[in-house]
Amino acid sequence: MIFEILAIGLIVSAVLALFLDEIVYSVAALSGVFVFTAIIYLLNGAIFAAIFQFVVGIGTLAVLFLSGEMLGEKPSRKFSPLRTAGLIGAGFLLSLPAIFLSVSTPSPVGSGVALSDALWNLRGVDVLLQGLLILTIALGIIIVLYERRKK
Amino acid sequence: MDFVILSLVMLAIGIYGLLTNRQLLKVFISLELIATAATIDFVMLASTMGLGMGEALLILAFSVDTAISAVILALLVIVSKRYGTSDLSKIIEQMRQKEETEVDEQ
Repeated sequence: MIFEILAIGLIVSAVLALFLDEIVYSVAALSGVFVFTAIIYLLNGAIFAAIFQFVVGIGTLAVLFLSGEMLGEKPSRKFSPLRTAGLIGAGFLLSLPAIFLSVSTPSPVGSGVALSDALWNLRGVDVLLQGLLILTIALGIIIVLYERRKK
Repeated sequence: MDFVILSLVMLAIGIYGLLTNRQLLKVFISLELIATAATIDFVMLASTMGLGMGEALLILAFSVDTAISAVILALLVIVSKRYGTSDLSKIIEQMRQKEETEVDEQ
């Protein structure tokens, strides 16, 4: 029952995040998406995934709140409770297929690999992540320098 | 309760938002929803099958997602500052006008 409630919350938050006019309310709804996703992971036993989702979500939300305040334009129409209720209803309807339908998923093959073993086997990923970080920093520097040169 | 269908619904909502929204920040939120849909599918299948590899690879997926978000947000701020708006249709209109004036000058 708890998973069904979380699924409804997740889809309703996603719909509200996309279709609310005020950008700050959209970001608040997006925080609901991250929190519900983290709880789903946690209840399914993927504790590390839940922690990562939560931490990354908080970072993204902080940046989005700031940029939403900086860049967000005033919405053309005012906040309407009726429209919000309609969006919540639409989200509820959209979550029904996930609750009542099911597809066949492959059954577990072998005994599986523990997370610690998987992390050890994939230790090359660390190098990849460092490369990605350096690439992102380089891109950021290029963008900043390009803008300064333009000015 | 099926997480594959849940992630598919999330993916559909994200793609719909990506195609219909005009605000740049809403487009970014749509991309976040698409990324979340992908990670839900990834983690839930891995954890139901008892594969730790899924969670380990999720670290890579999150890092890539965060790096992409940072670059997209940087570009978004630059575009918004340059054109004075975060509305996609207005930005495209201004770009066309700029191109037309450049062609006329030539």
